[in-house]
Amino acid sequence: MGEAALSALASLTDPSLLVMLLVGVVAGLVIGLIPGLGGTGAVAVLMPLTFGMDAPQALALLIGALAVVHTSDTVAAVLLGAPGSASASVTMLDGYAMAKKGQAGRALTLAFLSSMAGGLLGAVGLTLAIPLARPLVLSFGSPELFMLTVLGVALAAVLSRGNVAKGLTAGLLGLLLGMVGTSPTTAEYRFTFGSLFLGDGLSLVAVALGVFGLAEIASRVGQRGKPEQIVKVGGGWLDGVREWLSHWTHVLRGALIGIWAGVLPGIGATAGTWLAYGQAVATAKDKKEFGKGDPRGIVGPESANNSVEAGDLIPTLLFGIPGGVPAAMLMGMLLTYGVQPGPSIVTDHLDLLYLIVWSFAIASVLGALLCFLSTRGLARISLVPFAVLGPGLVVVMLLGAFQEGGQLGDLWVMLALGVFGWLLKSTGFPRAPFLIGFVLAVPLERYYFLTDTLNDGFGWLLRPWVLVFLAVLLAPAVLRLVRAVRARRNLDHDDEDRQPPAEEEGELADSTWSLFTAFGALAVFAIGFLTAGSFSAEARLVPRLICTLGLLVGAYLVWRELRRRTRRPARQPAEEVPKLAPDVKVAARTFAWMATFLLLVTLGGYVAALLLFVPAFLLYVARARIRVVVVYTLVTAALVAVLPLLLPVHLPTGILPSF
Amino acid sequence: MTVVIGYFGGPEGKAALHHGAMEAQNHGQRLVVVDATPTTGSDSDALRQLDHGGIEYQLHEARLPDPAENVLQAAQEHSASLIVIGLRHRSPVGKLLLGSHAQRVLLEADVPVLAVKSPPSATTG
Repeated sequence: MGEAALSALASLTDPSLLVMLLVGVVAGLVIGLIPGLGGTGAVAVLMPLTFGMDAPQALALLIGALAVVHTSDTVAAVLLGAPGSASASVTMLDGYAMAKKGQAGRALTLAFLSSMAGGLLGAVGLTLAIPLARPLVLSFGSPELFMLTVLGVALAAVLSRGNVAKGLTAGLLGLLLGMVGTSPTTAEYRFTFGSLFLGDGLSLVAVALGVFGLAEIASRVGQRGKPEQIVKVGGGWLDGVREWLSHWTHVLRGALIGIWAGVLPGIGATAGTWLAYGQAVATAKDKKEFGKGDPRGIVGPESANNSVEAGDLIPTLLFGIPGGVPAAMLMGMLLTYGVQPGPSIVTDHLDLLYLIVWSFAIASVLGALLCFLSTRGLARISLVPFAVLGPGLVVVMLLGAFQEGGQLGDLWVMLALGVFGWLLKSTGFPRAPFLIGFVLAVPLERYYFLTDTLNDGFGWLLRPWVLVFLAVLLAPAVLRLVRAVRARRNLDHDDEDRQPPAEEEGELADSTWSLFTAFGALAVFAIGFLTAGSFSAEARLVPRLICTLGLLVGAYLVWRELRRRTRRPARQPAEEVPKLAPDVKVAARTFAWMATFLLLVTLGGYVAALLLFVPAFLLYVARARIRVVVVYTLVTAALVAVLPLLLPVHLPTGILPSF
Repeated sequence: MTVVIGYFGGPEGKAALHHGAMEAQNHGQRLVVVDATPTTGSDSDALRQLDHGGIEYQLHEARLPDPAENVLQAAQEHSASLIVIGLRHRSPVGKLLLGSHAQRVLLEADVPVLAVKSPPSATTG
């Protein structure tokens, strides 16, 4: 074990790895400043660049970025009072308050140092998890792994914020989408509807970038950044260091909470950070200063949100169950290198595992250092309105999705999923279970058939670990049932937990759109169920099972939506006509822009389309100044044109140039 | 000295407001109300009643995500001599399964806590 760890460190002296790590850190810091992207965005934007690389280089790049996205997101929260990510909004409570007192330097020092420590402690946690989990992982057979995959999707669905039925629906839809393509057991095409293009299944990058990336752009383009006053950075840097040292227990506690939140699927940086803040307040004897600039309110949460990303990697690498969305994508990337996360990574690729640990640790330190050096610059970047960033992001993301298969079809799939992701986001469905379901669909089915063929009957259900996982799976359901019964007998009703503001805001949660989405899900499951009828018995089993569950949950959702409508008091006129809220219009228009861009790409190739799309979008949507438009367009075009020369990146070619 | 009322909404919350206001008046103390209802601004009817009663009170701004913490913080900030909260009628088993804000305040406060229940007629429904 020790040898593998040291040799991994030695391999990091390789200049190409170090350069990749540095590039990853810088990219991660910049992406961390853009609201709504976070770890998911960092991995999604950078992943396409890695397709031509070797596994170590690719991992150094991605881990470098992932380790530091939560370091820089603090800058905007502290200096502007506008958090770069949902998890940084916790830091804002005390950080912005401190900055307003002229002590932004102190707040930032506390935040950067805690982020660094959180990352380092996360890396330590990941290291310790390897020898601890190794014997366990190696004792697992296919029944345990099957139960783990089920548990992965189920926990992501149950633990994600919002309600369980919506989480389950999203998870089942993800599983169903993951079934598109060739069946792992019988090698027949499923849900391809005769299309050869769908035969390989959908590309993970396209799905992730669509559901998270494009959806995020569409919902944020409308937000116009008010010209806010940057708080003077001010002094207190040394005070910050001293204070940070005196609050080391909070750093440690925050990191542990973060790792734990990371290990559980579906609980990400946001929830982990709020847990850490709650913990800091609850254990403090003197609570007067919280919310007014208490250092403890910065240290714990900042430490937690960095260690979450390391915690996410623990189940991902050791069991093949992604602990969060970025980790799910990382797992997809590892699979393309032929590295199977789970038991085999522990035996065959221990060096890669330690490379990840070291990269994470080094990137954490590097990220904090760079943040100290460039605070003012970072604050200025975060002032750029999202509408200006939008076209550049669209160009990068679509180019990224094109790399995996080199097919324009992937881009249309991505756009369609973007619309779908936006619908999920705005009607309050959690999106993490969807992607985790998508990634786990194939392993789930494979492990099931392995279990079925290697074991006679259902004896495998009695294996000790299978029983443990079953208990974990059923316990929340039983508890919920007990609560429901008690509530019905009117014996007790508990204080509602005040939930921290969720990442999935769900502005349209109770509107007709929500009903429409529920009906849509129901219809998809019904079609899936019927289509599965034409498959052979083996290929039919799992999709049918998923669709049946989906039909049940979907029917419940529809019933609940309808009941809410009928129970609404009569004097409040129900909005029966889907009212086009301003957000909906902006999103629809943005998607139309993206579709136009894709049409242009189909016709004229990528660079030509970009030369039209970027300036048009900047002029009409972002209303940027002419000089900005010209420079922006030229720089983007030049970058896209040069990129294929430097990296193995392919540009889509259009129909017209070939004549 | 100050009396801090943790108002979590519901009939027991109203009872807490009532008793808290009486305590403050009887001992001539300042009154601070923490509006810690889970859904913000749900029913300020109860608070309006205080206004109508001509009782002077100060509203503590809730800054923290957790309602119980807000009450405890207010108590420390205003160096309260007494915290008044409402308690629900519940069974021991119900208490075992479910947590509550009131319990947090009872366990963690370092000043006396007056726990008030709502009149029995108001609980059903």
